[in-house]
Amino acid sequence: MVKAYKQEHVYKHPWERVSAASWRKFADPENKRILSHILEVDTLNRKLDTETGKLHTTRALTIHAPGPWFLHRIIGQDICHCVESTVVDGKSRSMQLTTKNISLKKFIEVEERIRYDPHPENPSAWTVCSQETSIRIKPLSALASMAEKVEQKCAEKFMQNSVKGREVMERICKYMEAESALI
Amino acid sequence: MGLLKKDKKTSAHSSTSPCADLRNAYHNCFNKWYSEKFVKGQWDKEECVAEWKKYRDCLSEHLDGKLLTRILEVDRELNPTKQADPKESS
Repeated sequence: MVKAYKQEHVYKHPWERVSAASWRKFADPENKRILSHILEVDTLNRKLDTETGKLHTTRALTIHAPGPWFLHRIIGQDICHCVESTVVDGKSRSMQLTTKNISLKKFIEVEERIRYDPHPENPSAWTVCSQETSIRIKPLSALASMAEKVEQKCAEKFMQNSVKGREVMERICKYMEAESALI
Repeated sequence: MGLLKKDKKTSAHSSTSPCADLRNAYHNCFNKWYSEKFVKGQWDKEECVAEWKKYRDCLSEHLDGKLLTRILEVDRELNPTKQADPKESS
């Protein structure tokens, strides 16, 4: 059982600003209130290729994800750890993020891929964000009938959170725009 | 209960990570470097090296080893072409 979702969003801000906002998305104290499901973000690895301008970063996200009661009973926790791997290509102006859960992998696998690229119609001023989420529930025989519901719930939660994430991104972009106008 | 070994009772919304200050210092430095230099094509030099080292040392002291191993496994799945960091391959 796999569910996949695609979303696209156009930011009326240049790629440089949007990708910078993406790095600040979880760390900014003001946004922590809105994205309160993100508890911790730690950078575990970074690698800069000083010749090609490629930046690889690995971050660990600790997420508060209370599920349905029966899932909670089985798992006994509502904290989920995820790995986010990012590649930024400074030359071609692209940013790609892939996030996967490492907790609860026996039950569910969620993979989210986000790309930020310059908008083809207005590459210097707009940015297009495309997001793909796939959710796979492992069909344990005893849970198979419930799995469908969990999948649905999980998908709804993801959609809600990605809308919140977008609002935060828009706000950071505005803030950064104002900041750069002052210099 | 975050990535850390010790399970402390923590408020869900505030960070009590012992590395939080070092993490903030590094992330601030990184964000500044990213928007002021990297996106302008100035990527010829690694920056925030001292901040990164302090933060990383703190993490390796406090991170849960088993969890870290799993994280790195998934990271390798996500980046099959990326060369393994010699520091991490044990």
